[in-house]
Amino acid sequence: MNSFWTVVGFTARNKFKGKAFLITTLVIAIILSVGVNLPYILSQFDKGDKVTSVGYIQSAREELAAGSATGDSLRTYFEAQEGANIKLVPYEDKGDSAANEEQLKQAIQDKQISGYLDFGSNATGNGFPEMTYKSEKMMEFSLTGNLQTALQTIRTTTVLQDAGLTDEQLSMLNAPIEIDSVQISTVDGETSGKTPAEQGVNMGLIYIIIIFLFMAIMTSGQLIASEITAEKSSRVMEILITSVAPLKQMFGKIFGMFIVVLSQVSVYVIVLLVNASMPHNKGALLDLDIDLSKIDPMLLIYAIIYFLAGFFLFATLYAAVGSIVSRTEDLGQATMPMTIISLAGFYIAIFSLNTPDSMLVKVTSFIPLFSPFVMLLRLGLTGVPFWEVAVSIVLLLVAIYAAVYVSAKIYRTGVLMYGKRPSWKEIRKAMKAYKI
Amino acid sequence: MKPLVVEQVTKQYADKTAVNNISFEVSEGEIYGLLGANGAGKTTTMRMVLGLIYPDAGSINYHGKPYSKELLRTLGYLPEERGLYPKVRVSDQILYLSQLRGMSKKDADQNLKYWLERFEVPEYYNKRVEELSKGNQQKIQFIAAVNHKPSIVILDEAFSGLDPVNVELLKSTVKELRDSGTSILFSTHRMEHVEELCRNITILHRSNTVLKGNIKELKKQFPRERVILAVESEVKGLESISGVTGVVVHEYGYEIGIKNEAVGGDILRHAMAQSTVTRFEIKEPTLNEIFIKTVGDRHE
Repeated sequence: MNSFWTVVGFTARNKFKGKAFLITTLVIAIILSVGVNLPYILSQFDKGDKVTSVGYIQSAREELAAGSATGDSLRTYFEAQEGANIKLVPYEDKGDSAANEEQLKQAIQDKQISGYLDFGSNATGNGFPEMTYKSEKMMEFSLTGNLQTALQTIRTTTVLQDAGLTDEQLSMLNAPIEIDSVQISTVDGETSGKTPAEQGVNMGLIYIIIIFLFMAIMTSGQLIASEITAEKSSRVMEILITSVAPLKQMFGKIFGMFIVVLSQVSVYVIVLLVNASMPHNKGALLDLDIDLSKIDPMLLIYAIIYFLAGFFLFATLYAAVGSIVSRTEDLGQATMPMTIISLAGFYIAIFSLNTPDSMLVKVTSFIPLFSPFVMLLRLGLTGVPFWEVAVSIVLLLVAIYAAVYVSAKIYRTGVLMYGKRPSWKEIRKAMKAYKI
Repeated sequence: MKPLVVEQVTKQYADKTAVNNISFEVSEGEIYGLLGANGAGKTTTMRMVLGLIYPDAGSINYHGKPYSKELLRTLGYLPEERGLYPKVRVSDQILYLSQLRGMSKKDADQNLKYWLERFEVPEYYNKRVEELSKGNQQKIQFIAAVNHKPSIVILDEAFSGLDPVNVELLKSTVKELRDSGTSILFSTHRMEHVEELCRNITILHRSNTVLKGNIKELKKQFPRERVILAVESEVKGLESISGVTGVVVHEYGYEIGIKNEAVGGDILRHAMAQSTVTRFEIKEPTLNEIFIKTVGDRHE
């Protein structure tokens, strides 16, 4: 047992001492703090919402009268609204449409307006003439959308005014209809549901945990594998393996790296929390309706279980891969399958945030290499019967046991095999030969 | 109880035999030479002694007991290919390796300082291994093998890559270890080292033991086939003496190959008839010759 901790200590100490580790941690911590403060920083530059100015031609001429009237009503509509982000700017009629266009284009160039509405003379049957929004930018969907909404409101108001309804009827028509969505659990007699706010918090939490788990697996997995390969290629392995039992050595390494990753992740979490609880960020969090006290403690416990299990499962497999490669150059290629599997788990979870009850999610939440990512998603966003969680965890534990068993054997064999990357057949042969 | 007894050990790798029926014993305070061409099975034998791989047949006993995990602590190993952490300080890694073998940090530190003094390089204590020259890395490698006071030390090509001064330094250290009672299993290609250090040897060739025993005894088994003759003036007609296989002229005189020892007398008489003989010796074969003879013969 003693030498196990010696390995743990040596692994962790060397990582902590390494410049690369310190610099990476620092850089990511800085990026995180900038990221958290970004909304606030941006809002400092961007006081108040930007107002988009839209030009139109004001004219009494018959063919332009309808368009001009529409423009006027839009202008009054937006002016009446507090904090509207669209402003209509009227321009004089120059007498013919070419000159008008010229005038408006000039206005765009002079940055007085960012685009203009061009009204046709034909009636369209919807109460307004046909119109086109012209600007230098592409994809102005939100602007035209806003204009559409405005016109719709204007039309409704005009029509309703003519219909002679009472004020009460009018306000009833205008009152928005609301449907609240509450997620409930139908199993185990649980009564508490999750309100949208809770769902939001859970979704955010799960998002963060999944990203951290993915980062932890990727960085530590690569580190473990590359350390083992480095020990092999520098042949220090031959001395190590004659000093400590290979299994102890492998787990010492994994555990040491776990401590390193854990402290790295906690640095990040602390940086995030400290930054998020700064006074100027408080408001932003409240605006987003995020209340950390709404986190379900059970979810946290599950998150920790899946995080640990996922970490150790991947770490052992990475260790096995590292042990069969003898040169660092070959490592990337050898770890590729592991990387792809963890990427797959990660993306299944991230892309299913909106469909946490799809068949894909249900199935993959039982498959050990994916379940740490995917089951967490289901737990946070839907009600999962306890037996399903239990089955998933048991499967995961069985997988860890199997991975440890196989990895230990591969490790024991792999560390003594030099030269080109051995094939599975060669490893099996060597296992037999070494009587492992 | 001999510290290390290897008995009829055989190791088979899938389609080829790596070591075939090898036996030897190393006593306390003895350096045992394991010789052989590349790929003869030396490293496999050493790995089996280290318990890294298990023999298919035969047994290996340490002080009368079979291999166990606790035994690792009493073994020291210097691998053929140097293995240290390039970026870790000398003190850190030697202490780490010694602690792994169950030594306390304090004792390990004391020993390390002693060894660095012994090799006249105390300033390396805080250096990274990659900063050191190859020869000095080798010293550190040696310290890594012996710092935890093992009772059995396995040295695979311990002197390769060292300059003559350092070879002497390391050689005297190895002798010191031997004299303090350590059993050493020693492999090398340099026969003069073996002749100087080892009492008993085993020569392996293509997985088989081809020669084994006490060096002195072995030498007696091989015919003396070389005569060194130093004379004051030229001696003619040496080639024509029957039984002479070849003559090489040196500054000091002649080196003459002979079929058997009896020819020596003929040569001496022949030389004395023509000149004054200052030196005449029928040389016993060097280990190098014995090695080439036994291993080379089988090459054909």
